[in-house]
Amino acid sequence: MAQLSAVVAGGVESARPRSPALNPRLVAGLAILLLWEATARLFAPAYVARPTGVAMALPHVLADPAFLRAAGLTLAAVAEGVAIAIVLGTALGLAMGRSLVAGRALRLWVNSFNALPMIVVLPLFSLWFGYTGSARLATVVFAAIFSILLNVADGASTVPSGYIEVARSFRARGWSIVAEIVVPAATPYILAGIRLAAGRALIGAVVAEFFTAIPGLGYYILYNSRTFHHNDAFVAVLLLAGFGAGFDALVAQGTRRLLPWYRRDEARE
Amino acid sequence: MTFDRASWGRLAPSAASLVAGLALWEIVGQATSAAFMAPLSGTLVRLVELTQSGVLVPEVLSSAGLFLTGMALALLVGAPVGLLLARARVLREALDLYIMLLYATPMVALIPFILSLMGFGFGPKVLVVFLFAVFPILYNTVEGARSIRPELIEVARSFRSSEWALWREVMVPYTLPFAMTGVRQAIGRGLVGMVAAEFFLSATGLGQIIMTASQNFDTGAMFAAILIIGVFGVALTRLGRAVENRFARWRN
Repeated sequence: MAQLSAVVAGGVESARPRSPALNPRLVAGLAILLLWEATARLFAPAYVARPTGVAMALPHVLADPAFLRAAGLTLAAVAEGVAIAIVLGTALGLAMGRSLVAGRALRLWVNSFNALPMIVVLPLFSLWFGYTGSARLATVVFAAIFSILLNVADGASTVPSGYIEVARSFRARGWSIVAEIVVPAATPYILAGIRLAAGRALIGAVVAEFFTAIPGLGYYILYNSRTFHHNDAFVAVLLLAGFGAGFDALVAQGTRRLLPWYRRDEARE
Repeated sequence: MTFDRASWGRLAPSAASLVAGLALWEIVGQATSAAFMAPLSGTLVRLVELTQSGVLVPEVLSSAGLFLTGMALALLVGAPVGLLLARARVLREALDLYIMLLYATPMVALIPFILSLMGFGFGPKVLVVFLFAVFPILYNTVEGARSIRPELIEVARSFRSSEWALWREVMVPYTLPFAMTGVRQAIGRGLVGMVAAEFFLSATGLGQIIMTASQNFDTGAMFAAILIIGVFGVALTRLGRAVENRFARWRN
């Protein structure tokens, strides 16, 4: 009987009862850490990052004002850049999705820029903006905007025409149709675009800091790995990974909460 | 192809926008200095010069070699491991969280470690491309495997399907389209990895042309190299989409 309910709940493979003490995820996590620790101890020089070293570095790195300032600078640049990309990307994406002419005119450029590995613009942006935070901001915006733009355009062009006809027959005008029909209908696409954009923005900020050597998490990693403080540098990697995964989970959760009816396999990358 | 009114209506805005964009590039380039932004004409002149002086072709081949080696390794590792994880539920449950985390981690952050551990050779650069490309493949394959309806396996089992037949008839065909979405994403990320490796490890290939050009304020050569990378990017994206659609037909 217990077996039958397990089959119903989780398919054949979970029919075998598993002991709750052996959580496979936990076991795998521990195994990965052990393997890393052992490899680093046996084969690598002493400065190479290892779990125990990173754990010991954690308190002093997190209390280090330089680290906190670097984290603040990078995350602020990412937030600012993504905000700019959301505003510009949504506006242009709506134009592309709702106007045939704008769509045809812009798609060529947007697709080409989107296919360009965003990192190639770094030397150019550092020529244009100098080795400053502006170059980083520009890189973040460039990295983030196209996935938002393409997803918004997709969303805006697939609004069911019935919605718009109803709005028209109630004498809704252009702007209120966009604000009250198109944007809400395209919201899941906008969120999917933002989710992709945030990941790319983070990469953009880090590479810009590598390239221009302006203070931030990327530069913190670069500096500490050059001065053989790999454990300290790795704490910054963990923060970046946590930020990337955390934001991803947040948007996914937000999509489920705000739009429970919505299911979409993938976004335009 | 006949150019009736309808196809003109489709093509005219794209063509006009292309011409307008290129004209804008030329005008802005002429109005500013070549150290700031080379015009289209200046970029094409540098493109021809670089080709004729024999600089361009070897560097393009070097970049292509790096990209293809890294991508091939990512496929060779990602596809079998992804399939194994698709079938072995315990392994998948054990590892999916870590694959998701690594998929979301900006891999560029690891480049300084790779540099300090492995130096400047070809190997570390291939590793960078590999790291950028392998996790999208793994992540999407695992996501696909997770969405296999248990009934499919159950039905196969109740028809006394052998393990081999189960793989051939159910697991692989079901998971392949997801894996192909991963391959498409991997192509885009691998290209970023290629340029990142060429910028931040040792300067080779098209990345080297861009770096050298930026040090000499030679934006013409810089745009020429970016243009070539862009053409590659567009072509590879198309290829990725075509491959994905080829395998994803049943999903739509």
